[in-house]
Formats: sequence, structure tokens, C-alpha cells
Amino acid sequence: MTFAGRTWGRMSPTARLTAIFVPLALLLAIAAVVAVVLVLPALVNFLGANVPLVRFVVAVVAILVLTIPTAFVLIYMELKVIARVNLRVGPNRIGPWGTATSLVHGFKVLSKEDFAPTGADMPVFTLAPVVTFLASVMTLLVIPFAPGIFGQDFNIGLLFFFAMGGLSVLGLLMAGWASFNKYSLLGGLRSAAQIVSYETPLTISVVGVVILAGTMSMNHIVLAQSGSALDWFVFKQPLAVLIFFIAATAEANRTPFDMTEADSEIVAGFATEYSGMRFGFFFFAEYVNVFIVSALLATIFFGGWTAPFDWPWPYNLNWLAASSIGILWIPIALLALFVGTGVMAVAVRLIGGREWTAPSAFGLGFIITGAAMTALLGLALFIAFDWAQGIFWFMAKTYAFVFTFVWMRGTLPRVRVDQLMGFAWKWLLPASLLNLFVTAAAVIILNR
Amino acid sequence: MPTRPARSTTRTTTRAAARPKEQPAQHRSEDDPRIMLDRQVSADLYQPIPPYPTRTEREAEFYSLGDGQMFLNIGPHHPATHGVLRLVVKLSGEQVVDVDPVLGYLHRGVEKICENSDYYHVIDQVDPLEYVSSLFQEWAAVLAFEKLMDVEVPARAEYIRVLSGELLRVASHTLFMGFLALDLGGLTPILYSFIERDEIVEMLAALTGARMLFNYFRIGGVNGDLNHDFMSRLGDWMSRAARQTEANTGLLNENEIFVRRARGVGVMNREMALRFGVTGGNLRASGIPFDVRRAHPYSVYPALDFNVPTRLEGDSLARYLIRMDEVRESIKIIDQCLHQMPDGPVMARLPRLLRPRPGRAWGAVEGPRGMLGVYAISDGSDQPFRFRIHDPSFMNLEVVSHLLPGNLLADTMAIVASLDPIMGGIDK
Repeated sequence: MTFAGRTWGRMSPTARLTAIFVPLALLLAIAAVVAVVLVLPALVNFLGANVPLVRFVVAVVAILVLTIPTAFVLIYMELKVIARVNLRVGPNRIGPWGTATSLVHGFKVLSKEDFAPTGADMPVFTLAPVVTFLASVMTLLVIPFAPGIFGQDFNIGLLFFFAMGGLSVLGLLMAGWASFNKYSLLGGLRSAAQIVSYETPLTISVVGVVILAGTMSMNHIVLAQSGSALDWFVFKQPLAVLIFFIAATAEANRTPFDMTEADSEIVAGFATEYSGMRFGFFFFAEYVNVFIVSALLATIFFGGWTAPFDWPWPYNLNWLAASSIGILWIPIALLALFVGTGVMAVAVRLIGGREWTAPSAFGLGFIITGAAMTALLGLALFIAFDWAQGIFWFMAKTYAFVFTFVWMRGTLPRVRVDQLMGFAWKWLLPASLLNLFVTAAAVIILNR
Repeated sequence: MPTRPARSTTRTTTRAAARPKEQPAQHRSEDDPRIMLDRQVSADLYQPIPPYPTRTEREAEFYSLGDGQMFLNIGPHHPATHGVLRLVVKLSGEQVVDVDPVLGYLHRGVEKICENSDYYHVIDQVDPLEYVSSLFQEWAAVLAFEKLMDVEVPARAEYIRVLSGELLRVASHTLFMGFLALDLGGLTPILYSFIERDEIVEMLAALTGARMLFNYFRIGGVNGDLNHDFMSRLGDWMSRAARQTEANTGLLNENEIFVRRARGVGVMNREMALRFGVTGGNLRASGIPFDVRRAHPYSVYPALDFNVPTRLEGDSLARYLIRMDEVRESIKIIDQCLHQMPDGPVMARLPRLLRPRPGRAWGAVEGPRGMLGVYAISDGSDQPFRFRIHDPSFMNLEVVSHLLPGNLLADTMAIVASLDPIMGGIDK
């Protein structure tokens, strides 16, 4: 036995692990440094030459990652708002005020059995939720959240939205067909009929806006409405807003147009046979759709990320910035956190009394200080940067419409299939054509 | 005589026979007899066709599919059927062509059980029949027995019966409103109506000791006198009952979507209603002012002032509005009961063991769903010789197969819910 072998035999398991991994980490670090030195300039050059591609990849990843939290927030909001409409309390067990309920719903959905009926057409059955989910998520790409914060500024952004919205019906139809269930089939066929019918007035209603803005790019539509609230297209196109709102409700399969999953008629429609994460994808897609439709309403008719009145900000907060103190803000903030936590802990102890022992007092102090500092940071961002303001106004408008959709779900019963179709073809379509005609005529006459 | 379509059961057997015996066992799902059996069973379960040769011409006609038609099982486990009603619907697209209601999932043989128990025990046997408004079922049985035995019921007991009965009628109609809205897709009215019903049920629990199956009426009176808990709850409720009813119905009455979905749907004309023996609000919605409380007065109803609301349309909306009018009338009746309530005993003096003389009696009350009748025959023993229950839900449900064809699938729910069937009473 060699020396090395004897030494290896005498070593403890921890020492063996160290002996393996420390040299390995050293090697990897050296390799990484070499790679950075050799490859990074080339990579940076490549990325710099292909900014749109980088932007696209980053946007797609960000949007895919961000949809799930958005859906969670919307689900929680719907649970809570409908509960208040129903004179209930709503979820209040998991997390503060039940805020973690939808997270637990997500885990529940993930851990459930992935069931498929005997006669199901498996490839189609498996693909259907993916198609539906992707079709709704891809739509987020063209929505401008703030100045400079958007996935892609297509010059056919609106058209892209309608194309993707039309694609989602394919997923529902696939689900309805592949489930080998009559309820699912009826639900799928209903969704096909409904979405195809409502696509027409939905698309025609925004053509007026396209004429006024002179572009189909979402960013330019927002810019065309900058100024004050009076410049928003909602005041130039009131009929179009109404049509768009109704048709978008149908497009997102929301009450009162939730024919496809009318639980008192066809059990759960196309989703009857779905369980586990497959159902989860449908579920997420539905809520992402609500968000998208609200975001689109806000973007096209309510000024997107622009402020509703003449907004004096962004102020240039140079006196806080790099030239004077700059990087020193980080240690100052850390110090403030420590000091604030201590002060708050003492205050909690003094106000709350003896039952606030040291850990809980410090915990609460930390939470209070952290919240206050986060709020300060948010305020500073809000004042200093136009993108922070943009996100604020955009989200405020969008969630106002999300709330409206949830409110409608709590209040209204469901319309019948024939009434639904009749409404689309007899009322919405003529009204949207009228709106288009009047807008076009006005533009021609006023521009002459 | 047309035969039912043959179902192939040969597939598993041929496959099993064709497999060579020497081959080692492999776990393939096609070879596993359990999985194949499971598949066969589930394939059979998807068929709404009954597992026996058709027995009547009507059945043979119903179970033969035309071009482009399909069967759809609505129930017995479906979000919109009230209880375990199963409707086999023949669809052409979304349109209902024909309906075959399948009953009996809840059959318990209550009539026979009643014939084997003595007169006192019948009351708690009939309780779960109309489980939403069980006092009326007790009332009908008690009324028949009192006629059988010539029992004089004290006036205070009669007033308490009317009072609690009308309260329960309000609860039942309010619940009806909620379920109708739920079947039309409205999520909220059901919770409002449950809040309303819960107050009444708690009130009656204070009076009777139970929330649902009260077992409160007795032959010759009621089980207990009014107590303070009940009266304070009742006063609290009465102070805002009328206002609350208006608020709850306002959500639906002024809702264009609801009105458009209920109006002109499932129209039942006078002849059809009479031919099928429909009673209650469903009959009055078709323009016939028949109310057992007026037509064959019982208890203290002759002394009370109330209207019999009637409508002429006979559609789902009329059936809904009639019930909401009845809620207002019931609140009026409760008010009068509270003002006219005399003092005195709440129970007649009766022997422990009841042996009525041989004879027969028919007692009928106006339940929330119509005429609730009991036909009792005595042979002189301590048990009824025959105990026949006339259930209004059963009569009302018969119309379904004539109202549904021609309507859309979505209207099935609007129509069935507006008839307000209670499966406990239908299946008995």
C-alpha cells in the first residue's frame, strides 16, 4: 500500500470530502478566471451586437418567471374580493391575512396526481394546457410596463396581441376534444364559438385608436396619450372602450361570459378531466389572461404608464447621488437598519409591556424598520426615476380593471350561449363598425 | 321491437385466448385482466343506456339516437342538480331534444317504515322527506292523524304551527332564490340567502332544539311553548325582514342578465299544469290561484289576512317572482300571528298509546313547494294501516320532460331550479 493509500485510509469522511472538493473548487475558479479573460470580451461583443436578441431572451425569461406571482396575486385578490362581496371573510389562515393561500394552492396543484381518463388522446391532452398557457403568456411580451420596460416593441404590437389571443382558443379546443368527455367537448366547442365571435368586435374596436395614434406599436400608443388624463383615448373613443371591455371579458372567459367552464351546466367545461399541474396551467392561464386584458385596457385607452395629471417628477436627486456621498449610502443604510431595529425593539418593549421578550421585540422592530426603509427606498425611486413612476401608474390602472373583473364575477349571473352569440354579432359588431366609421370620418374631415 | 345497441364484451376474452400460455408474464396493461376489466366497466359507465332491454315503447324511442344527437348525463352527481336527480338528456348540439328523468337514488321506503311504526313515531320518520322545510311534512301527517282521531288542537298550538311554518316557508323560498341564481351562474345570492336562512334556522333551533329536522309538531299540538330566546331572535329578524328581502331580491330582479335568462323559459300553461297535478307556486305562476290555505282551509288560516299571489306567464321568472311575493305574504302572516297569539296550552290531552277507530283521513297543507298531503288509513291498531304521502316536488318534477325539449342545455338548469324540487321527498 502506498503512502497516499494509507493516508486516504486514515482520513475521516469530512477530511475526504475536503480533500476532494477544495482542489476541485480551486481548479474551477482558475478555469472560470481564464474563461472570463478569454471569452468575456467576445461574449460582450456578441451580445452588444445583438441587443434585440438579448432583450428578447431576457424578456421571455422574466415574463415566464413573473407570470406565476402575478397569477398568485390575482387568485388571492379574487378569493378575498369575492368573499367580501359574499359577506364572507375569505382566506385568513395561511400567512398574514391569508396572503400565502394561493402559494399553498400552487403547491397543492403541483403535488396532485396527474390523472388522465382512459380514452383520452394523450399527446393532445398533454399539449393543450401548454398551448393555452403559452398563448396567454406570450401576449405579455408586447405590453409596455414603463418607459423602457417592455419585452419587445413590435410595430405590429396590437396585431401580435390579437394573434396570440386567438391562439389560446386552440388550446381550449384541444382540451375539449382530447378529454374524452362530453362536458369537455361542449366546453371546447363553446369556447371556439365564443372567442371567434368576440375576436371580431374586439379587434375592430381598437382600430379607431390605431387611426388616432397612427401606429400599432404599444409604446407609441402610450406616447400618443402622454400629457394629462384628458389626452387619454378613453375620451376620444368612449364607445370603443365599452366594446373592448365587454369583448375582452368574453375573450378572457370571465363572468358573465364564462360559458366554457359554466360549472352549473357543463361541470367544468374543457377542464373537467384535468387535474394536477395540467389543470394548474389552465388556471394560471385564466388569471394571466385577466391581467393581460386589464393591462391592455390600461395601455390602449387609459394612458398606460403615463400619469393622469401633469406630473412634475422625476426630480433629479443628485444631492443624494454618487458625486457627494455615493457608495457611502450602503453602510449608512446598514447602520440605520441596526440602530432602527434597536430603537424599535425598545419602543415595542416599552409600549407592549413585559410579554414582549427580546426575540419577539427585536423581530417586530426589524420588521417595522425594514418596512419603513423599503417604503423610503420606494419613495426615492418613485421621485427619482420615470420607470418607477411608470410601473406605479401602470399597475394602479391595471389592478383597478382587475378589480372590476373580479367584482363582476361576484355580482353577475351567466348569460346563455345564444344570447352571448347574438350579442356579439347583433350589437357589438355593428357598434364597433360604427365607431370605426365615425372615427375615420372625423379624422379625414378634421385633417382636411 | 327495437333492441338496445349491442355492447362488445368479447374483446378481452379473444385477446386472452390468443395469448400463448408458455410466454412469461409481462406487465403490459393490455394483458392485465384487471385493467382490461376496468376499461370495459368504464366504457360501459359512459353509456347512459340502462343495463336491461328496453321495456316500453317510450324507452325504446328515447334510447335510440338520431343523426348528430348524443346523450348527456346530468346527474346524479352534477353541480346543478338539487340532490340526486339524474336527467338523461338527448342533445342535438346544445339543444335538448328529449329528457328522461331517472329517480330513485334516494329511495328509502319511508311510507312502509311509517306503516310499521306507531302514530307518534311517524312524525320523525317523515321529517327528512322535505329536508329544507320539514315542518310542513310533519304538519301534513299530524293533520291527517288529528282528523283520524278527532283531536281538538288548542288555539295557541295552531298559531305556533302557523308561525313556525311561515318562518320556514320564508327560509325555503329564500334558499330557492339562492339556488336559482347559482344555477344561472351567480355566486353571491346563494350566500345572502344562506345568511337569511341561517337566522331563521337558528331561531327555530331555539324553539325546537334542532336546525333542520325539527320533530316539533305533535298529534294534538306542538312539542314546546314559545321561549324567550326564540321570541327575541324573531323580533330582531322581523324588524328588518321585509327590507332584507327587498335587498336580496334587488340583486336579481333588476339584473338584466338574470331576467333575460329566466323570462319566457320553460313556459307551463294552465292545461299542462292541471294535467300533471302541479301545485304550489308553480301552479300559481301559471295563472291558477289554488292555495290549500285558501281552497281547503286548515289550522287558523281562515282568521288570517293574506293574499294568494298569482301570475299569468308560467315561465321561470314568474315562478321566481311568485315565491318572492309569497315571502312578503308570509312576513305579513307572521306579524298577524304575533298579534293574535292567544294564551293557553300548546298540547291537547291524549293517551300515551293511540288507537284510532278504523277509518281514513286526508290531511293536506300548503308547503313551500305545493300541496303536501298525507292519506292515512287506520285499522284500529296502534300503527297506520296505510300511510300515503303526496309529495308536491314529485308532481312538479313530472313536467320537466315536457318543459325541457326545445330549450338549450343552459336552460335545463333554469327550469329545473325554478320548479324547486327536493329529492328527499321525490324519492321517499
